[in-house]
Amino acid sequence: MLSIPPTLAATDVASYLPVLLLITIVVGFAATNLIASALLGPSRQGDIKAMTYESGMNPVGTARKRFNVRFYLIAMVFLVFDIEIIFLYPWAVTFRNLDPSLSDATVWLGRILFFILTTVVAYIYGYRKGVFRFD
Amino acid sequence: MIEKIQALWPEIALFVTACVVMVIGLSPSAAVRRLCGVVTGLGLLAAGALAYTTPAVNPALPGLALYGKAMVAGIGLVLLLLASGTVDREYESFLARGGEGAGGQGRAEYEPLRSTKGEFYAFFLFSLTGLMLTAGATDLVWLFLALELTSLPTYVMVTISSGRDRSMEAGVKYFFLGAMGAATFLYGFAMLYGGTGTTSLGGIANALAAQRAAPGGQINPIAMLGLVLSVVGIGFKIAAVPMHFYTADVYQGASPSVAGFLAFVPKAAGFFALLSLCAAVGWGPTGDTLAEPLRSVLWVMAALTMTVGNALAVVQTSLRRVLAYSSVAHSGYMLVGVIAGPGPAGGGTLMTSGVAAVLFYLLAYGLTNAGSFAVLGCLERVRPDGQAEELDSIEDVRGLCQDRPLLGWALVLSVMSLLGLPPLLGFFAKLPLFGAGLNAGEYALVVVLALNSAVAAFYYLRVAAAAVLEPGQVGRGPVSVRPTTARWRPMAAFVSAAGVVALAIYPVTGWALFGARQGADARSEPAQRAAAEPALPSDPHAASVGATPPAPAE
Repeated sequence: MLSIPPTLAATDVASYLPVLLLITIVVGFAATNLIASALLGPSRQGDIKAMTYESGMNPVGTARKRFNVRFYLIAMVFLVFDIEIIFLYPWAVTFRNLDPSLSDATVWLGRILFFILTTVVAYIYGYRKGVFRFD
Repeated sequence: MIEKIQALWPEIALFVTACVVMVIGLSPSAAVRRLCGVVTGLGLLAAGALAYTTPAVNPALPGLALYGKAMVAGIGLVLLLLASGTVDREYESFLARGGEGAGGQGRAEYEPLRSTKGEFYAFFLFSLTGLMLTAGATDLVWLFLALELTSLPTYVMVTISSGRDRSMEAGVKYFFLGAMGAATFLYGFAMLYGGTGTTSLGGIANALAAQRAAPGGQINPIAMLGLVLSVVGIGFKIAAVPMHFYTADVYQGASPSVAGFLAFVPKAAGFFALLSLCAAVGWGPTGDTLAEPLRSVLWVMAALTMTVGNALAVVQTSLRRVLAYSSVAHSGYMLVGVIAGPGPAGGGTLMTSGVAAVLFYLLAYGLTNAGSFAVLGCLERVRPDGQAEELDSIEDVRGLCQDRPLLGWALVLSVMSLLGLPPLLGFFAKLPLFGAGLNAGEYALVVVLALNSAVAAFYYLRVAAAAVLEPGQVGRGPVSVRPTTARWRPMAAFVSAAGVVALAIYPVTGWALFGARQGADARSEPAQRAAAEPALPSDPHAASVGATPPAPAE
């Protein structure tokens, strides 16, 4: 006889009650805050208050201007290394707990080295494309 | 854990090659940059050799991984010939001239930001890596990632394939519709997980079989909804109705070489995924009936895809749009094989097994289609103002057989094979689809298939007639069509044309033997048929034996 794993369809609708409660609380909290601050809060308008908030500085010019494409390239290279680090954490946590006598440990090490190698390729690629050159 | 790596050597080979190509494509030396294509070819050869180490990973379709990987490596080589010289041709010749025309003085400096050669070949390889991974998928998560690895590089390839606005427009359209398709089948996968409690394809097969065997004998509605959504979403990859809208615009906007790539790679990925999913459902105890709502959805998709594809192809004047809609129609033909299933358990042959028919059709279609797009990619039209642009209209191939006999006849051969004219490969690919459809009792669908094949003759013959019957254009006023400087591309056309003929010769001789051997040694038959290409549709039938779920309790 095949065992049937627990599935969505097999579960009772009542088990979704916590989710429904959470949704109600979230929507209710947001709506209450908006309505309460509109009703209770003071409403003083003015030119200075309507000004674009620029960390306390007086804004200069428009924000809708063209940026150097280099910023996007740097952002993408950042993503590569960011993602690499995200993958390194779970790997490191698991690797500590592997039995060193198992051959699996070597495979695990080899895998992460291969993975790091691919990011090195990304680094070389970015370097050759001139992403790190600021002239 | 290590076993999984052992099933992945071809993919690893392609991936490593892609990394190498990406770096050497940015070399300051033009000689090293030229190596990109050669290194890519070597990587594909290595992957093809390593494909034979692939073990049977998916118990439901044990032969799929091996066949798929070997086929991808083989067709990939033809596609590589076709793709060579797609990007950077003008930039490289500009550099070779020493930057004449722009500054004029001295040597032009190589600017890595302007070059896209390395990326193009790397993305080519990444996409094929994804396709190989799809063939060996054993898990829904794996399947999704593999399908996306196949698709994501193609969005970029479409966009950079030519410097024109039209290819950017095509890339954007393709990307957004592709994202919608991916979202649809991802949602389907999530439902499938919800309805079966596992993401492993084997586990899903067990769970669905258990659900059918239980009293009541129905597949869980959530799982069934998931399956249907997945099939519709994967319909984007194979350009099936209702997800076919992008096809013509994208194939027309991309350069012909990339369009040829798109016509095979995502389609093959989609069919590998469809077969894996349908194998998880199982074709029933007789090996030819899918569970009901799924079968109806596929049935309607197949009939509509064939009909819409052919009807729209008839009214086109652009040759690339004709080929695009013909690719839609071919997906519809192949869906018949998916519906037909692997045939009676243990006794399926190429003529009764829809799975074997689909796998063989993919090979035939990939080879043939690369040829027709290669001919288009070999030629360019000179506009009155002296600028060259890509060939588009059927008018442009008028008299091609007289002007450039080799290219002309290559085009005629591949178009006739797409039509399914008897002595050519396309016929021997389409015949098993009819056989499998009849064997599965899908008579109405087979009638639709036959009618559509007849309609298709109209537009394929129109292309062939333009090339053969019209007088040559050379020597009559200004010549407007000339060969491009892509040196390897004609090779793709010739390899494809030779394959269309050579692969067909074995069936001609082997056909008589075929019937006699049907019973006893049926399983090796598809393998022999494809022996001329390094690809073995090894035994999709044995698959069904393992996948056949127990009969529902009466």
